[in-house]
Amino acid sequence: MAINLTRRRFLQTASIAAASVPLSKVVAKADSEVVKTPLIPPGSFKDTETVVGGVCEMCFWRCQLVGKVRDGRLVKIEGNPKSIDNGASICARGNAGIKMLYDPDRLKYPLKNVGKRGAPQWKRISWDEALDTCASKLKAVVDEHGPESLAIFPHGASASYPFHFFEHTVGTPNVSEASFFQCRGIRDMAYVATIDKPPGENVDMPNSKVIFLLGGHFGENVHVSHLKRYLKGLENGAKLVVVDPRFSASAAKADVWVPIRPGTDTAMLLAMMNYLIQNDKHAADFIEEYGEGFEEFSEGIKEWTLERAAAECDIPAAQIKEVADLLAANAPNVAIHPGRHVSWYGNDFQRQRALACLTGVLGAFGVKGAFVPPKGPKGLKKVKWPHGDHEPDRLTEYSDNPYEFSPPGTPTDLIRDAAISGKPYPIKGCVIWGQNPIQTIPNQEKTIQMLAQMDFVMCTDIMPTDITMFADILLPEASYLERYDYIKTGTQWNFSDEHQQYIAPRMPLVDPAFERKDGIWITNEIARRMGYGDQIPTKDQVEMVNYRLSGVGLSIDKIRAEGGIHLQPGKDPYGIPEDMSVYFYNEDLADADYPAIPTYIPVEQPPAGYLRLLYGRSPVHTFNRTQNNAWLMAAMDSTPIWLNDKVAAKLGLKDGDTVSLENQDGVKSRTTAPIKVTPGIREDAVYIYHGFGSMNPELTVGYNKGIDDQSMITKLAVDPETGCHGMRNNFVKLVKVS
Amino acid sequence: MTSPHPLPPAEPAEEAVLLSDVYSFLALSMRYPDAHFLDDQFLEAFAALLESLELKPQLEEFLLWRADSADPLEELQLEYTRLFINSVPCSTVPPYASVYLDGDRTIQGKTTEKTKDFYLSCGFDVIDSTEPPDHLQHELDFLAALTRESRFEEEELFLATLFRPWFAQFFEKCMHEARHPFYRVSIQLIDFFTKEEQ
Repeated sequence: MAINLTRRRFLQTASIAAASVPLSKVVAKADSEVVKTPLIPPGSFKDTETVVGGVCEMCFWRCQLVGKVRDGRLVKIEGNPKSIDNGASICARGNAGIKMLYDPDRLKYPLKNVGKRGAPQWKRISWDEALDTCASKLKAVVDEHGPESLAIFPHGASASYPFHFFEHTVGTPNVSEASFFQCRGIRDMAYVATIDKPPGENVDMPNSKVIFLLGGHFGENVHVSHLKRYLKGLENGAKLVVVDPRFSASAAKADVWVPIRPGTDTAMLLAMMNYLIQNDKHAADFIEEYGEGFEEFSEGIKEWTLERAAAECDIPAAQIKEVADLLAANAPNVAIHPGRHVSWYGNDFQRQRALACLTGVLGAFGVKGAFVPPKGPKGLKKVKWPHGDHEPDRLTEYSDNPYEFSPPGTPTDLIRDAAISGKPYPIKGCVIWGQNPIQTIPNQEKTIQMLAQMDFVMCTDIMPTDITMFADILLPEASYLERYDYIKTGTQWNFSDEHQQYIAPRMPLVDPAFERKDGIWITNEIARRMGYGDQIPTKDQVEMVNYRLSGVGLSIDKIRAEGGIHLQPGKDPYGIPEDMSVYFYNEDLADADYPAIPTYIPVEQPPAGYLRLLYGRSPVHTFNRTQNNAWLMAAMDSTPIWLNDKVAAKLGLKDGDTVSLENQDGVKSRTTAPIKVTPGIREDAVYIYHGFGSMNPELTVGYNKGIDDQSMITKLAVDPETGCHGMRNNFVKLVKVS
Repeated sequence: MTSPHPLPPAEPAEEAVLLSDVYSFLALSMRYPDAHFLDDQFLEAFAALLESLELKPQLEEFLLWRADSADPLEELQLEYTRLFINSVPCSTVPPYASVYLDGDRTIQGKTTEKTKDFYLSCGFDVIDSTEPPDHLQHELDFLAALTRESRFEEEELFLATLFRPWFAQFFEKCMHEARHPFYRVSIQLIDFFTKEEQ
């Protein structure tokens, strides 16, 4: 377009006259948002204030924060100096929360997909239209097919309130949380079956004599107070045993690195326990007092000699013995770490049971350096959606395997298979809240098939992700820096210090921008529109948190005045509860036809020409959640593929070569990554970071960076006791690109 | 557009009001299309502006679109969302100064703060908006407010220090991504009315 005039000259001409009247009519009725205010001279000093009450959610460890805020703009995030958990320390991700907060790619307004699922064309719509649509579509699905026809995929603190609405009040049991079914649910259920409680990561590492990690790769897995415990333990002289097919950051600090064959960990644990029992190195007195079914257990694992396990695990028998002896010599002050992400091979419940039993064999409960749950604050009230009258029709009732030790919710594949097949009943409505099931759930093709047959798909998130491309309505949520919801509680990180407890409710450091809304508001508005207005348990996020705090005589205002964290005297966590039992043999498991003692179930080994795909954490990312963060991606924006140096030589590959992956089912990776040639990984496996390679081009920074490991995990493995996925049973070959 | 034959110059005050109206109108064109302002009257004023600038091909294309479009508001909402909010494949051109000036793309950056400070130092502020102060719509509304009071020195200072440095980048990206005649032309009009006088 060429305008052959200057602006001034144009304004001076008569030709503008033709436009001036219509223009003035239009602008006269428009309300400008730029208005007259009292003059503020240039250079006026503005204070940077410290806002307290932040609770991080760049990952789910939830460190306590303060924000430096100037004129409503968050300019820096720091650890809350009052914290007795993370203290003033936060990790790279915590610091980079600002880049999430002000990411221009973030969701800003409710969006309607007027294109196709998976290839959306977005239209900004009003909240009223968005909420009316969500409520009417979800209600239509429930009215036609029943509450069970809704599938819910939640994740994160803000997802609890909405999914409890759909689960308890609307009445669908078909809820699949990634934190359970693709992460730690197996661990929790295995420990419940062994010691009646989920373990958390409650090992007293600072005061331990030996720390035993199975796959734990601390330093790459960064949870601040957890790392502090670990590093204090090493500083205090703890020996470190790391069982891992890869020379991880923890293995690099280990006294003993056990490069075990993937999938065989239970065999090693059984052999260790058998060796300890056969050689009277077990904690006989502890077992006598607290053990249940020890005879059946010790008899049942007799076959697991060191030599047999050594052959199975591809490690020297002497090394298994060395580890067992090291633990026995220092028992009971040893930390058998329960792990966190444990959905590996589809035989994981047994491995987690074995870990809990090993803790029992060593008597490593309740004493310094052992498994010691903290004694945190009690008395917070709960806000609950009321349970409806509807008796849920559970998919486990129709399944060959009832998954009787499933974590809360319904095993993901039962939901997905029912949705795809329509049997035993249709699943036609989907609510996804803070989870990215494309990257959390293996076999993406099936997930996409599930979504394709839905009548309605609603997503709530803070960012565009792979899954938001499949939404019909996409709702923008306030982030953890802009809302109230979670109340973090705990104790001082080192039990050797003065016993203290803390209560830290999340408070916003800044107001939500654009039209982002918190999950309480969104849920209440949908519930009201679906006809559940009289059952809404709390008016808003502030009322909810204040109500919960009222149980301990506190309030948001009071804690804010105290610096964002309430501290109170704590209790000595050591000691063994009188009613404690360690179920070496579990009758409930026997009754349900599952192995009643920890049992090794072999997994398939890689076919010729293929390597097992292992994945783990990057120290500066929380999987897909941080994939568009400019600072974190500047630090690490790819997935170097760890490849054994001897294998690399055989394949003619060298460090830095770019490759794509192809799995045993012929599925090829969408993207490529460089090779990291190292002796620090076994010859039968490769390793990459999880969470990269986002397929959503709305992510300006993260789109197609690195390889999406989940896209390579097409062969499904399901843990028989829990219904949780195992995600390390897929095999890849490397295809050189350059 | 060709030079019109000589006419008596408009009075400066009249010029200021005209310019202010143009800025206000262009600010509206950068606001999310809403039925309460984006109506026939608005679209006719847009056509009149093109006509007065003697932008015949653009006017013809615009009129053709209006004649063909069953739902102009819906079309513009879709294009606005695609261009300025979210889109797949990514063609979004964020209309915020800070994204271009503050390094590694950010909303609510230092530039946002400087922009707001500039408004305040001139006696203006942005209120009741869901968008940050350095959204193109607000910057144009601010320029309208200044020029309505004939504060041309402050207008030029703002254009030179805070507007043109980012708008040039934004303009280039927009011209690459914008498909709809309304937005392609609107962006060019903003460029015309804000570029430095030679």
